[in-house]
Amino acid sequence: MKTSEFIVRRILLLIPVMIGVTVFTFMIAQIIPSNPAAILCGERCGLVDPVTGKTMLELQIERLGLDKPVTEQFTIYLQNLLEGDWGESTSYNRPTAEVVRDAAPVTLEMTLFALLIAYPIGITLGILSAVKQDQTFDQISRFLAIAFVSLPIFWLAMMLQLYLGTGSDVGGICDPIFGTEGGCLPIYGRHDAALTYPDRTSALCDTAISGIACYPSWYPSGGTGFHLVDSWFVTDEALDSIHPDYASNSLLFNDTLSHLILPSLTLGIASAGSLLRYMRASLLEVMNEDYVRTARAKGLSESRVIIVHACRNALIPILTILGFSIGGAIGGAVLTESIFAFYGMGNVAVDAIINLDYSVLMGVTLITAVIFLLSNLVVDILYGVVDPRVRLE
Amino acid sequence: MTWKDGEEERAESRRRLSERLYQTRFDLVRTWKIYRRSLLAIVGLFMVLSVCTIAIFADDIAVEHPGRDIQDTRDVWSIDYEPQRKEPFSEECDMREQKVSLTELRRWDENGTLALSPTRIAEDSSFYQDTLVVTDYRALVDRQGYPLPLDLLYLEPSNNSYFWISDELMENNSVNQITITYMFDNEEMHHWWLPDGWDVCIFGTNEEGQDMFSKILYGSRVSLQIGFTVATLTVIIGTIIGSISGYFGGRVDEVIMRITDIFFAVPGLILALAFVAALQAVEDFTLPLWFALLIPIGFLAVFVRSQIDTTLLPKSIAPNSSSDSSYVFVRAILIFGIFFVFLALGPWEYIFEIGESRTWRLAATIFALCFIGFILVLDRHLIDMIPIKGIGMRAKDALDWRNPYRYLTFRTIMIFLAATIIFLWSGNDEGNITVIENFDRLWKIQIALVFTGWPGYARLIRGQVLYVKEMTFVEAARSVGAPSGRIMFRHILPNAWAPLLVAFTLDIGGTILSASGLSFIGLGAEPGAAEWGKLVSDGRAFFPQDNWLVFYPGMAILVTTLGFNLLGDGLRDVVDPKNRR
Repeated sequence: MKTSEFIVRRILLLIPVMIGVTVFTFMIAQIIPSNPAAILCGERCGLVDPVTGKTMLELQIERLGLDKPVTEQFTIYLQNLLEGDWGESTSYNRPTAEVVRDAAPVTLEMTLFALLIAYPIGITLGILSAVKQDQTFDQISRFLAIAFVSLPIFWLAMMLQLYLGTGSDVGGICDPIFGTEGGCLPIYGRHDAALTYPDRTSALCDTAISGIACYPSWYPSGGTGFHLVDSWFVTDEALDSIHPDYASNSLLFNDTLSHLILPSLTLGIASAGSLLRYMRASLLEVMNEDYVRTARAKGLSESRVIIVHACRNALIPILTILGFSIGGAIGGAVLTESIFAFYGMGNVAVDAIINLDYSVLMGVTLITAVIFLLSNLVVDILYGVVDPRVRLE
Repeated sequence: MTWKDGEEERAESRRRLSERLYQTRFDLVRTWKIYRRSLLAIVGLFMVLSVCTIAIFADDIAVEHPGRDIQDTRDVWSIDYEPQRKEPFSEECDMREQKVSLTELRRWDENGTLALSPTRIAEDSSFYQDTLVVTDYRALVDRQGYPLPLDLLYLEPSNNSYFWISDELMENNSVNQITITYMFDNEEMHHWWLPDGWDVCIFGTNEEGQDMFSKILYGSRVSLQIGFTVATLTVIIGTIIGSISGYFGGRVDEVIMRITDIFFAVPGLILALAFVAALQAVEDFTLPLWFALLIPIGFLAVFVRSQIDTTLLPKSIAPNSSSDSSYVFVRAILIFGIFFVFLALGPWEYIFEIGESRTWRLAATIFALCFIGFILVLDRHLIDMIPIKGIGMRAKDALDWRNPYRYLTFRTIMIFLAATIIFLWSGNDEGNITVIENFDRLWKIQIALVFTGWPGYARLIRGQVLYVKEMTFVEAARSVGAPSGRIMFRHILPNAWAPLLVAFTLDIGGTILSASGLSFIGLGAEPGAAEWGKLVSDGRAFFPQDNWLVFYPGMAILVTTLGFNLLGDGLRDVVDPKNRR
């Protein structure tokens, strides 16, 4: 099978799953005990429209299509989804698509940065653990792997806040290992509270109000939402007006990075545990292969055998874990975000449940599914490229 | 053949039983030998056992009820007690404040005041107060909070629970109320199992003045209960669905696997969140009565199918058989007729106006089942032309304790009893069977976790079944005509349980983590409940300063989860030696 054919097949396989997920989210929205029409019209529900002679409630129900049969509602929902209309949030009073679009990059940035931390730690410890099999180091790192997986994420986040986070003013103990200028890492928010970050939500970047273009004309207006990337493209005139302490791209980047370290470390530690175990098992399996024995028999040094011959092959199965660890990290983000006050998908989902905002809940479920499926698709394709045997199935 | 004639066969079966038991014992000993090789596994086992012990004996180990002052009416503290957050091991856990109104004091007695214990309610609902032994007094403030010199107060030398207030204070008209802060010998906070000098609140107290240690102890009950319930239910559901998928294959397999794909596409915690939201309005978890009827319908379907397989097919192969198809038709009508009688059980009580009597319905059900059984036995005898006799002899055999077959009957009785008990326990109203009464938020997260957890097991079991299905002994069982159910339960599943056990153990840990996470974001336990995730989230309000409120409940979650994960890891080494290297 050619690579292109393989890719097309993988994409086609996604379609039924995607439809299944939409059915699923739609079903959940049907069960949720909430009347979005009543929430939308609020106190004016009882008022009668003089033209049609119907109450506002009835008009809202008609507008949302709630009086139609469920199957018809579903087809309308599906149609709207494809057209980019994800419904209307009752608690944010904004289109759901916008709410999700603002929230998704926050979670994604955190998740990807977390994996960036987790992978080096997990893989290095995994290799060392496999090489020193059954020695004390191996025992310790195996224990660590299990302990990392067993850590309650929310508790770990708070303990990291306590020991690495901003110390003196909150009474915690702070060790300036990761020192920013205060000696400790910030524990709340994506940015310094004094800073108005130039992104889509801030009035600064609304050209009609401020007259300032925050980003160059070729860049997505209002930025991508990934502040680590965005901070390098903020224009000079926008930098001048945000805060005197952050008047350069690198300072803005440093601020974003320092706020991202603790949440990502929290997520990363949990992922690193499972990675360590998989890497160890995978490498130990490869070490028994004939080609490793051949390499040893050729008289190559042990380090060369492990790094060049064994690790390269052991890393291939680790690719599959990548897709799953993105899903796991997004799930963990629900807990981390509420602690670090990141307004990502996790926080939005929790708020949606508390406010019974079913449209947002559907949107978040759907977008996480899309992200997860797409990342698995990429992983699968990469796997097919790296290991041609997979394509033959 | 009578019971006496089968002596040899019984001896043989006894021999086999003892061999089997010996083998089981041997296997267990060997398993333990492999298991104890790993220090981590032993540590894990120890942790799990200690947490379970703590959960069982929480009442004896803890010093107070976890919900004191909130839900518990048996143990109410007096109102003047000012709850305070106290650090772990702080001596101030033995400290109380008491407001004394000097104007009232004058009316009663000269100038003494009793150091009051918490007001408690005795077994006979009367109020009583223990006498406190005051060891020291620390502060004395007037109504405005200005400190007064401590020497205005002294302890009665003969009775350590009386303060004497000096005349100087009594005659000072500007002071009408004082607050005394004193240390006392806190009998309540004493752990009988700790050495002297350690008798302080070892994990601190929360903002309600409740002992965190006790709360954490009781929290282990909630967490373990959630862990075991969810893991068991997921295993059962996952095993059923996974084995159906793996055993039957084809289109069924395809559909089930696509459904699991959907579940895997959404991260577990977000799926659980959505499901908890969907369950928000549910008050009781009830099943409609027709759902319960599905079970007898299912049994009947299987039964009819196997009847047709065993009686119809061989006779159609043998041309000289005297059987005619009309007879089978009559049988089918008979069986379904009886079934419809059973169906009509619901209306019976209304016809005879016996109201909501569950006992009656139960009796009618048993009667109908017996009737069906009787007809079927009769039916069988009619087909095979076996004379109906010896029922009395069989009953006598059934009561003979040496008869191994007796235990088969025993099993049937047990199943019947279990069904009866479930039926009686389920609150039965308006034609619904209440499965879970008081479907609170803890139940909701449990159901949500079961709902999100089963696809993992389904896939695991499917893989195992696909693997075992190809083995020779399954082929052999199928070739002698064993029905699907028997092959599944007797041949495939017993050979596929090992990875399931490992997954089950690991899943308990995972479930405890997820459940506490859900409680943490406010979807699980009710406010004030002794649940670890909830305790952490309650402690967040005072977080960086009073970090013991967060630290200890989190440690409890960590230790429990770690214990189960280490245990599962150790079991994996035993079950799958290939994995160990």
